[in-house]
Amino acid sequence: MIPEISVERRKNVPQWLAYGAPVFTILAALLVAAVPLLWLNISPIWVYWELFISQPSTIGGVGDVLTTGLPLFFAGLAVYIPLKAGLWNIGAEGQLFVGAVVGSAIALHVQLPAVLLIPTILLAASIAGALYGAIPGYLRAEHNVNEIISSLMLTFAATTFTGYLLRGPLQGSGGQTATDRLPDVALIPSVLTPRLHVGVGLVILVGVAATLLLNRTQLGYEITFIGSNSTAAVQSGISKYKIYITVFVIGGGLAGLAGMVEVAGVHGRLFEDFSPGYGFTAVAVALLGRNGVGRVFAAALFFGLLTAGGTTIAVTQNVPSALIDVIVALTILFLLTAEFVKEHRIQIGSAGSESAPRPEGST
Amino acid sequence: MDRDHAVRMENITKTFGDVVANDEVTLSVKKGEVHALLGENGAGKSTLMNILYGLYSPTSGNIWINGEKKHFENPNNAMDAGIGMVHQHFKLIPRMSVLENIVLGERETTAQRDGIAGYLSQLFGRDRDGPRNQLTQLAEQYGLEINPDAKVWELGVGEQQRVEILKALYRDIDVLILDEPTAVLTPGEAERMFETISTLVDEGLTVIFITHKLWEIEQMADRVTVLRDGKAVDTVDVEDIDRNDLAELMVGREVLFDIEKQPVSPGQTVLEASNLHADDNRSLPALTGVDLTVSRSEIVGVAGVSGNGQRELAECLIGFRPLTDGQIKIDGEDLTGCSPKEIIDSDVSFIPEDRHAHGCAADLSVMHNAATKVYRNGGIDSGRLLLDYTSMADYAEDIVDGFDVRGVTEVRQTPAGTLSGGNLQKLILGREMSRAPSLLIANQPTRGVDVGAIEHIRERMLEQQKDGTGVLLISEDLDELLDLSDRIVVLYEGEIVHETTPEATNKRELGIYMSSGSAATIKEAPAAEVR
Repeated sequence: MIPEISVERRKNVPQWLAYGAPVFTILAALLVAAVPLLWLNISPIWVYWELFISQPSTIGGVGDVLTTGLPLFFAGLAVYIPLKAGLWNIGAEGQLFVGAVVGSAIALHVQLPAVLLIPTILLAASIAGALYGAIPGYLRAEHNVNEIISSLMLTFAATTFTGYLLRGPLQGSGGQTATDRLPDVALIPSVLTPRLHVGVGLVILVGVAATLLLNRTQLGYEITFIGSNSTAAVQSGISKYKIYITVFVIGGGLAGLAGMVEVAGVHGRLFEDFSPGYGFTAVAVALLGRNGVGRVFAAALFFGLLTAGGTTIAVTQNVPSALIDVIVALTILFLLTAEFVKEHRIQIGSAGSESAPRPEGST
Repeated sequence: MDRDHAVRMENITKTFGDVVANDEVTLSVKKGEVHALLGENGAGKSTLMNILYGLYSPTSGNIWINGEKKHFENPNNAMDAGIGMVHQHFKLIPRMSVLENIVLGERETTAQRDGIAGYLSQLFGRDRDGPRNQLTQLAEQYGLEINPDAKVWELGVGEQQRVEILKALYRDIDVLILDEPTAVLTPGEAERMFETISTLVDEGLTVIFITHKLWEIEQMADRVTVLRDGKAVDTVDVEDIDRNDLAELMVGREVLFDIEKQPVSPGQTVLEASNLHADDNRSLPALTGVDLTVSRSEIVGVAGVSGNGQRELAECLIGFRPLTDGQIKIDGEDLTGCSPKEIIDSDVSFIPEDRHAHGCAADLSVMHNAATKVYRNGGIDSGRLLLDYTSMADYAEDIVDGFDVRGVTEVRQTPAGTLSGGNLQKLILGREMSRAPSLLIANQPTRGVDVGAIEHIRERMLEQQKDGTGVLLISEDLDELLDLSDRIVVLYEGEIVHETTPEATNKRELGIYMSSGSAATIKEAPAAEVR
């Protein structure tokens, strides 16, 4: 039975809830993460200072955060856009791998000037990721196969197949499970600092395009409507078939692009562990930023900050890098808890629904 | 406080944020009476009763039960004080048996325990048949026959409601609150419900029931308290007031009950459906050969007891449900097997039976919901890639103004799900009618909607008819069908068993066709039955 207080709280502080929830989630995760740090005799304050203050105050640090944030942002959108239509794309990681493999293969075997080659490999990677994403979308639309399972399983297929390719057809001359270094013309050039590549410019392009898509286009309207009530949407003449496949194609395309940018912009070659689980962290990014493209970007930067900063302090200060994974994992855990609490409140069913996601297209 | 009153709620105020749901409401219910609580949707009836049942605490005000001042923290307190409530949406567990549902929540029970210990205690427990005997006794006493071992999911809605009532009675209550008890029932079940209420009162209980149906009050209640906009307008003896006065009290103005229907001569045939066959959601045949035509400027009423294929018929006609056989022509064009989009593009509009599940996206704004039928094809987008949200908002505002949709603060912000039932229905109606359809399929357009909105919706349908729309009106409200239709067909077990006109028939005759599918027993019905 509902105590009166919870009903009142929902009525009185909707803004507080909407904006406060992600902040609280993060603060709670950092608080709990302090326990293992203290146990290892590492000052959490120092770690957090390094991560959130020191790192972003150097240009190299900013470059690291941006380059790590980029694949997280794209892969985050790969989860977020299907989520808008009510679908879960858990397979962004697989789509990212497929994009990276196809793009790298072209970069290694096709000779073109940089002006043409870089757009070609990025486009090819997007198309490959989109096609790979289309599979769970199609299975869901046509045969009602659960997209969570199919997209996740396809991820394992993609990563394993990449492992095979790197030991076989695509293996480089060095004998490692990696390709040869991509030709210089295929590498995305750096600006300002060696670790910041110009590919981050794509963030603006993709961010604006995604915002326009969801908030201003007919397609975005249909996606949002399907996601809110698919039966009502279908009865209004919106094709579930079309939308389900479309969101997965767009999502897969963005994930594939993320994979190739990572290879051509950061590593210069494809190897098995080129992605530190970007496609999985992307689920958390999409959840944390669930109310808008801008927030997805903010969430991607936050996780970028953790991932990039974690690598730095692990290397320079001898802090186990697994601890950063712990913080990331805790954030995801708290996120899911926050989701549960939110949904639980909606179920109580008082007149208001302030904690429901704000509809796209609202001012 | 005098002890004649089973319940006295004094100056109850309840606010949710800025919204005042109850404003200084005073309600006195005498012992042993049937007290009705009447009001439009959103008038604060359910809130007031949820306060009495301990679900909400009042912001201010006091409650006396049998002259004793009480303060309820939760429904258990209320039940201890002898208050029971049956909600509109049942709170039963489908997988469990009737008996298990009834004893659920009781601490001392041997009805259901797991494992060997449970089995033994059932076998040797001293009061192992206690709950069962008590239930059988209650069922007999109140005439609520039910098989205690039936699983709840096997029961019909009427039977489930009986379980809910028994569940309340099992807690030994004095006052029973029923929240719109007949909203989910067929007319036959509703009759039975009324008999139950009579028995309950004969056995000494006090009954409070929430309703917005006036005839129920005339039939059942001793006194009625009318709520309007969260305030108690008046409490009157039912004998002293007539239906029109009650309606006026409820909506604050006079309500037209006899709609003046101007004769309109039908035009060309717009819908031509022949030999429709379709399955329901369980893949059982739901339509078995329906032939139906609707002309422009004609209202064709479809009567029938719910579950005889109405929903499937409507969904087939809009292309949402696949046909297993048959043909659908709209304006002479064969649209059999077409998608909902193609049918919408042929100027067919649709008001679904379930406005929340099928009619709207509850968490999207009123604007989003208003535009679903026009956002493409030049309605809003004027052929460009981008949607024009400014004109979409204007469009939505026109509907909100034109159809008197209340509760909208800003069309872009207010989620459709926060509108009350009647207002949401007006929004859907506005959306479907603003595009001047050639055919309107309306499935239960006024069900669960308050009198003011019903009047509005009916008038709009008649206006639309004059403008040349053909209307297929599926309804369980026979008054509505007789008032609005030009022709009436009766749908019974997936077939049309009778076709007639309002002039040539009456409620009784329709009722016989609806419940038996034939006129076998109709001879005894006097032809000049008063409507």
